[in-house]
Amino acid sequence: MTQENLLTDTQPAAPPRPACAPAEAPRPPRRSTVRRVVRGVRDFVRAQPLGATALVLICLFVLIAILAPVVAPYDPIVQHRRNILEPPSAEFLLGTDDLGRDVLSRAIHGARTSLVIGVMTTLISLALGTAIGVVSGYFGRGLDIVIQRVMDAVQAIPGIVLLLFIAVVLGPSVRNTIIALTVVITPSFNRIARAETLRVRQEPYVEAARATGAGAPRILTRHILPNMIASVFTLGSLIFAGVIIAESALSFLGIGAPPPTPSWGLMLSEGVRYVERAPWLIVVPAIALSIAVFSFNLLGDALRDHLDPRVQRLVVQERRGWWGRRLISRLAPSLAQGAERLESTDTRTGGTGRVPDPPR
Amino acid sequence: MIAYALRRLGYGAVVLVLVTVIVFVIMRLVPGDAVSLQLQEVGASKEEADALRAEFGLDAPVWVQLWNWLGGVVQGDLGTSFYSREPVVDLFLARVPVTIQLGLLAILVGSLLGLTIGVVAAVTRGSAVDGTLRLIAVAFLSVPNFVVALLTLTALAIWFAWSPPLVYAGPTEDFASWAQQVAIPVLALGTGGMAAVARLTRSSMLESLGSDYIRTVRAKGVREKTVVLKHALRNSTIAVLTLLGLELATILGGTVIIEQMFGLPGTGQLIYQAVLDRDYPVVVACTIFYAALFVIMIIVIDLLYALVDPRIRHGRALS
Repeated sequence: MTQENLLTDTQPAAPPRPACAPAEAPRPPRRSTVRRVVRGVRDFVRAQPLGATALVLICLFVLIAILAPVVAPYDPIVQHRRNILEPPSAEFLLGTDDLGRDVLSRAIHGARTSLVIGVMTTLISLALGTAIGVVSGYFGRGLDIVIQRVMDAVQAIPGIVLLLFIAVVLGPSVRNTIIALTVVITPSFNRIARAETLRVRQEPYVEAARATGAGAPRILTRHILPNMIASVFTLGSLIFAGVIIAESALSFLGIGAPPPTPSWGLMLSEGVRYVERAPWLIVVPAIALSIAVFSFNLLGDALRDHLDPRVQRLVVQERRGWWGRRLISRLAPSLAQGAERLESTDTRTGGTGRVPDPPR
Repeated sequence: MIAYALRRLGYGAVVLVLVTVIVFVIMRLVPGDAVSLQLQEVGASKEEADALRAEFGLDAPVWVQLWNWLGGVVQGDLGTSFYSREPVVDLFLARVPVTIQLGLLAILVGSLLGLTIGVVAAVTRGSAVDGTLRLIAVAFLSVPNFVVALLTLTALAIWFAWSPPLVYAGPTEDFASWAQQVAIPVLALGTGGMAAVARLTRSSMLESLGSDYIRTVRAKGVREKTVVLKHALRNSTIAVLTLLGLELATILGGTVIIEQMFGLPGTGQLIYQAVLDRDYPVVVACTIFYAALFVIMIIVIDLLYALVDPRIRHGRALS
């Protein structure tokens, strides 16, 4: 069950069969996959009402981001020079900023910037981190040691410091923000992918595949990857929220997306100067940002609860670690053990609420 | 125990050396160095630029620079700032107190508020109070700390026409001014930790309250207040200690934005300015300092943790 599947399930059309393969034996119909996804989503929605709410919010967020030019009343960078710092009115629903730009339109287009950066970063680092983690975990030995030490080192630097460093060195642009965030986040995916690979590698079916003479590429793609990808995707949803925060933090500091780009972080930093005269400049992007982050966190929590408990524990551990605390289990094993125990307690409460009856 | 600590420290040292290598490699991979950036405005000749590069040792290959730097570290020399020409160590030490103050106060505020909220929520479990408190906790987990700070700033500016003083004064010079300036940053940094602590306290309190030993204590006729505050809460504090240890590194990293926003002269501001100026020695030193702080803190907390909780001793698995 993946976040992507959850988000795209509204288009149930089965992918067309390749036209060039008429002589092949009939494949099992693809519809079953779609049906399985639909059923998975239905189960998820029933079991996790909060998660379903988050899912609706996220769909709304994505829709607004995609349809930004249609939904927004004005062009986000056009300056209405006669309406500078105007409070919310019928003409400008959420007011205007110091250059006379419509705040609502900028907030809507800001969703687009966040989504582009969030999706790109999450996908790239997910692919990269998973590939590194799987290879490192499967082949082990010297390769594993070298790769993991480098990953540890990257994670020992607090995320914001490393982000600042890379972003400034590369210069402010959307592309460079994505690169910087990818460097910071990839180790998290590497970590969980490696842990899961180590687990799956010992399963009898992998042994069996190896005994029948399957090569490493086949074992990796057909046996290991499908059996570990769920936890990677769950982590992806939680990390997406972090990416949105980090993106706005960077543009807030003036080293993310460059000025005319509508971005929530940029709007916040531009608004600081007019805190007293025009509070809507702060409040609007702050609320937009918070709701987006909140929904992704909620979805991540719900997905985590919905998956099987073993996956939960790994993801929880990893989530605590995504912002540079990943070394912990190696540097501080007893601390990590304690944390794991506590967090499994936290997981049982679903993080967001429902606490099971305490044992009597 | 000592061998255990030494092994962790050794591993930490390896990680720090790797961090240094990574930082150096990233820094030299990109076009444009501090010298050309500095001289662009002045319009200096090529000879002058080369002379400057030689002075800073920028003309040597990366590996030589790295080696020299590591050699300096061993002697307690972290290099000299390209801009102010002061030793990085001095620049740094002048700013450490502010960051430490912020971090510790934030932890303190976060854990006190978090513990209170968690205990109240656990005791009133299922009621409206519990629901509200839990919602607050989840909300604060999602709102990034600089947004909390901005919103607080906005609210105070509108409703009370109050804003913090612009110039920083140390707590010993002018306590009132210092307190005013530090209040919002500490709250903003603390709320994230607060939310996490509150959630954890609540769930581990619920677990304690349902356990056999609490039933025994109640059966003994102990007052409910004592049951909750003494017996159940004490068992939950270790949980919170763990979480705070993990939280501290995040808070220290998070001070970069907050310090910049409130004009607090801490290490976060130092590294931000240095990164903008491409003041390499300062950037390298700060980055590695943060990494070192993190590594050392984690090791220390780990050892403390093992000392505090007799159930967690090395080589013995947790049940």
